[in-house]
Amino acid sequence: MPQWIDAGAANDVEIEEAIRFDHASQTFAIFRSPDDEYFCTAGLCTHEKVHLADGLVMDFEVECPKHSGAFDYRTGEAKRAPVCVNLKTFPIKVEKGRIHIEI
Amino acid sequence: MDDSQYGKRNKRGDWAPFAALKPAPLWVRPLNLGNILHWLVSYVWPWNAFHMVTALLYWYAVVPDVETLKVIGWGWSLRLYAVNAAAVFLLYGFFEYQLYVRRGQGTSFKYNGKFPADNPSDVFWFNSQNIDNFLRSFLVSIPLWTVVEVLMLWCYANGHAPWLGWAEHPYWLLAMVFLAPAIHETHFFCIHTAIHTRLGYKWIHAIHHNSVNPTPWSSLSMHPLEAFLYHAVALWHLVLPSNPIVALFQLHIAGFGALNGHIGFDEVEVTDGTAFKSHAYAHYLHHKHFEVNYGGDQLVPLDLLFGTWHDGTPEGEARMNARFAKKRARLNREQA
Repeated sequence: MPQWIDAGAANDVEIEEAIRFDHASQTFAIFRSPDDEYFCTAGLCTHEKVHLADGLVMDFEVECPKHSGAFDYRTGEAKRAPVCVNLKTFPIKVEKGRIHIEI
Repeated sequence: MDDSQYGKRNKRGDWAPFAALKPAPLWVRPLNLGNILHWLVSYVWPWNAFHMVTALLYWYAVVPDVETLKVIGWGWSLRLYAVNAAAVFLLYGFFEYQLYVRRGQGTSFKYNGKFPADNPSDVFWFNSQNIDNFLRSFLVSIPLWTVVEVLMLWCYANGHAPWLGWAEHPYWLLAMVFLAPAIHETHFFCIHTAIHTRLGYKWIHAIHHNSVNPTPWSSLSMHPLEAFLYHAVALWHLVLPSNPIVALFQLHIAGFGALNGHIGFDEVEVTDGTAFKSHAYAHYLHHKHFEVNYGGDQLVPLDLLFGTWHDGTPEGEARMNARFAKKRARLNREQA
């Protein structure tokens, strides 16, 4: 049964930045886009299991810090080799200054 | 020099030349004699001329006499390793020091706006691309380069390979000299494509590709099997009728020529107003995008033939993205 989890304060994520959020042995990456929307994906790169929150966020893409593979964090779509397998995405909402993700 | 006159820098700080990469004019129709003559000069000068000079220097000043070569010995083998290592240290080290330690031209003409030393990563030994690449070069690749060299010279000395004389076969050997870069590119394309298969990449080639932002020390940073296969290009001269000097030339195109693709700068500035082309862009695009440009500058147009050529243009990018989308769809179907 999916449930909404509090993932921290919305202001903790800068525009065009990402933070890592761990919950119940799962790890996530939470992104804030240039137009101030929030997105949540699985936290590890599908190529070599590196935390994407440590990667470079530019526009709507995150670049893996290990091999520079890129994902569209809005859809999870793999955009540049060596990553080919898409990222899982999760519903996200901001209420009263808090981020909530549905897992 | 102002690199904005020759290319543009994107939001990430990465620089790309305006001019598209072009295959050797031999493959461009209609044939243009002026372009071919201009290309012939750049084919010889400066890099292949440099490799021939080093091959001659080795033959006359480093390689022992034929009687010594008949028996493989630690003495002359280690001496060859020492010379190879010293030469790589001087040549590669000069460019590494000038461009990445001294940062003599800053990021001018630099494809990737960052310097690897500023970004430690646990993908590398000691979290350092420089240390990792340096150690792999001197402890793995140069020893295997020397193994190929020793094996090749021993075969010639013992008559296990057809050794043609310059006086008797000058035209054939001259043709072999001119063909050596094409042999290199064909050999490199074949082994490179083979280690870009799923398992080949995972177990062998991933080490070389850890350097997404390559520097001179990245050139020979390889898995042992890749290092041997790469330098084994010289062993073609044990099959084709040839000569040890031509074989050494072939080996030096591989060993010293690996530098070209990994300089990381499009132009290397000599003085404030003069620079020389590195010929690094095609291979830089391979390091950046992984699945394009398996060969070289299309002296032998195998990437063009197999649809993996990326010439740096938006059209080249679109072709690559279309292939990537197919692969992505297939892998995501398998994962589902």
